[in-house]
Amino acid sequence: MKIVKLKKENLFPFLEEISKEADLWAPTKVESDRHKFQAIDDLDQIDIEYTRTILPPRKIILPPTINMFQASDKEYKEDFSHVSKKIIFGIHPCDLHGLLIMDNFFTHEFYDPYYMESRKNTLLLGHSCWPDENCLCKSTRTHIIKEGYDLFFSKIDDTYIVWIGSSKGDDLIRAKEDLFEEDISDKDIKKYTEWGDERDKAFQTEINFDSLRDLMELKYDDPLWKKVGNACLACGSCTNVCPTCNCYNIQDRPVLGENYSEIKRCWDACTLENYSEVAGGENFREKRSDRLKLWYTHKFQVYITEYGKPGCVGCGRCISTCPVDINVKTVGKSLDGEKVDSFWNRLDKEVTK
Amino acid sequence: MNNGKLKIGIFELTGCAGDALLILDCEKELLDIFKAVDIQVFLMASSEVTDEKLDIALVEGSVSTEKEIEELKDIRERAEVVVAIGICATVGGIQARFTDPKEWENKYKEVYGDIEMTHTKAVPSKPIDAYITVDTYLPGCPIGKDQFLNLFTRVVKGNLPERYPRPVCVTCKYNENDCLLNKGIACLGPLTEDGCGSICPNHNVPCFGCWGPVEGANLTSEYHLLQEKGFDIEAIKKQMANYSGTKLVEFFKQLKKESK
Ligand code: SF4
Ligand code: SF4
Ligand code: SF4
Ligand code: SF4
Repeated sequence: MKIVKLKKENLFPFLEEISKEADLWAPTKVESDRHKFQAIDDLDQIDIEYTRTILPPRKIILPPTINMFQASDKEYKEDFSHVSKKIIFGIHPCDLHGLLIMDNFFTHEFYDPYYMESRKNTLLLGHSCWPDENCLCKSTRTHIIKEGYDLFFSKIDDTYIVWIGSSKGDDLIRAKEDLFEEDISDKDIKKYTEWGDERDKAFQTEINFDSLRDLMELKYDDPLWKKVGNACLACGSCTNVCPTCNCYNIQDRPVLGENYSEIKRCWDACTLENYSEVAGGENFREKRSDRLKLWYTHKFQVYITEYGKPGCVGCGRCISTCPVDINVKTVGKSLDGEKVDSFWNRLDKEVTK
Repeated sequence: MNNGKLKIGIFELTGCAGDALLILDCEKELLDIFKAVDIQVFLMASSEVTDEKLDIALVEGSVSTEKEIEELKDIRERAEVVVAIGICATVGGIQARFTDPKEWENKYKEVYGDIEMTHTKAVPSKPIDAYITVDTYLPGCPIGKDQFLNLFTRVVKGNLPERYPRPVCVTCKYNENDCLLNKGIACLGPLTEDGCGSICPNHNVPCFGCWGPVEGANLTSEYHLLQEKGFDIEAIKKQMANYSGTKLVEFFKQLKKESK
C-alpha cells in the first residue's frame, strides 16, 4: 500500500481541489456539543476534532427517506435522484467498518441497487481519532482499518500520513500531486507507531466480544431481558444511530392530481412497536424485550455467523444515545455476569409489570 | 347529484378549528382537493351544507355538549367512514384534562358560576371514540399537511389509510438532536406520536406531547426516569396530562395506587 505525507496547511487546498468534482461531506459542529456530517460549502465549517456524530455516515449514502420509483397502471419509472458524486471526509475507523458491513449486507444475498449505486459514487476519506469513555472499538477490533477507504489521514503533530487505499484514492492525490510528499522516513513511521500505542492505552471501555456470541445463546431466557424490556422506551434511537442497522419500510404514496404513486423507502427500526406488525394486525414482537433480544442477537451473534464479524463496530453511539442506559456496554457486561449500574437495572426494583 | 366523486363532510366540534384551517391552508393542493371530491359540508369554507349520505366524514374537535353528542351520532349514521382529525377528536385535547367528574364540576362552576345554559348542556369533554366507532385517526395539533394529504389521497384513490405511529424521537434522531432526556430535561418525545417534525427538540425545547400519546408508549419507565432525574411527581403528571386527554386516565390511577 502506498503512503504519502501532507502538511497540515495543505489539507484545505487539497479538499478545495477535490470538492470541485463532487459534493464534499464532512463533520461539522452544531452548537457546543454535537457533531453531524453535512455537505460543505465553506471549508471552515469542518470540525475534524470530533469523536462521534449523532448519525453515522450511512445517512449520506442512503438518507432516511428516498423515492425508489413512480408507478401507475401503465408505467414504472425508477428514481435514483439520491445518487450523486460524493466525497466523505473525516470518517473514523469504526464508521468505515460500519460501511464495510453495510456493503457486505447489501450485496451478500441480494444486490441492492439503491444502496450500491449511491455507494459506488461515494469516495471515503478516513481520519484518525482518539477514544472517549464510550468508544469500545478496540473490543470489536475495529479501531484500526486496513481496507474499505479510498484515502486515510492519520494526523501526527503537524503532518498527515496518508494511506492510499484504492485507485480512485490515488487519482485524487494525483489531482494535486505537488501538495504531497513521498519521502516517508523511518522516523515518521516510528512516531506513528508510538501514537498508535498511546491510543491503544487510552481506551476506557472493554467488552469481551469473543464470549458474547455464546453467552447470547446461553442466556436467551435470562431475567436481564425482562429488565431491559421494562425500561426500554421503544424510541428507536439506538437503532437509528447505529452504523450497521439497515432496516427499512416501503411506503406507497399516491399523488394527488396525478395518476401515479410514489414508492418511498424509509428507515425503520426493529426496536419500534410497529416494526414486526404484519397484515391483519398480528405483531410478532409486541414485547419490547423480544425486540431488544433481536437487536442484540444481531449485534453479538448473527453477524459473526454470517459475515465473520460482530454487528457492532464499537462506535459508542447507543451508549451516548439511549436515555435508559440500554446499550452494548451495559447489556454486554451484564451478559458477561457483571453487575452494571444503569437505569434499567435500578428500575426493576420499583416497577412490577 | 352523482358525479362519481366521493362525498365528503368536514365537521368541527369543540376545538380551535385549526385542523379545518390547515385543510384550507393547503393552497397549492386545494384545487386538486376540490376536484377530487364533492365537499358537502365544510363550514369554514362555505355556509352551504347538505344532509346527504357521505362517503367520508372528517371530524375535528372533542365532544363537550349534549348537542354535540347528537350531532356526532348523526354524522356516524350519515358517513361510511369516519376519520378523527386533530388531538381534540383523537384523545380529547386540552379541554379533556379534567377527567375526574368532581374535578370537572368544580372547574365548571369556577368558570361559569350559576349561569344557566339554555340551548344545550355541557358534559365533560371526550374524544369522539367515546361515543362512536372511529375508522381511522389523524392526530396533530394541528394535523400536519403532509400526513393529511397522504391520508386524503389514499382514501380518495380507494386505498386503505396507512397508519404507522411512531414516537417523536424517530424524527428527532433524523434531525440529529442530542437527546434532551440525557441532559436532564423532561422531554415527552418517547411518549408522543410523531408527525410534527420534532420541531420542539430541534429548538432545544422539550416535547410537551401536543400530538397525543403514541401507541405502545412506555409511560411507567419514562415516569420513573424523570422521577430519578429529580422531577416532582405532580409536575410530571401535569405535563403528561396536558395533551393526553382521556387516554392516560388508567395510567394515572395505577400510579396513584403505586405511590400509596
Ligand atoms: S469508536 Fe474508535 S474509531 Fe470510532 S471514534 Fe471512537 S476511537 Fe475513533
Ligand atoms: S451497537 Fe452501539 S456501539 Fe455498536 S455499532 Fe451500534 S451504535 Fe455503535
Ligand atoms: S434501547 Fe434505549 S434507545 Fe433503544 S429503543 Fe429502547 S429506550 Fe430507545
Ligand atoms: S430529545 Fe426528546 S424527542 Fe428527541 S430523542 Fe430525546 S426524548 Fe426523544
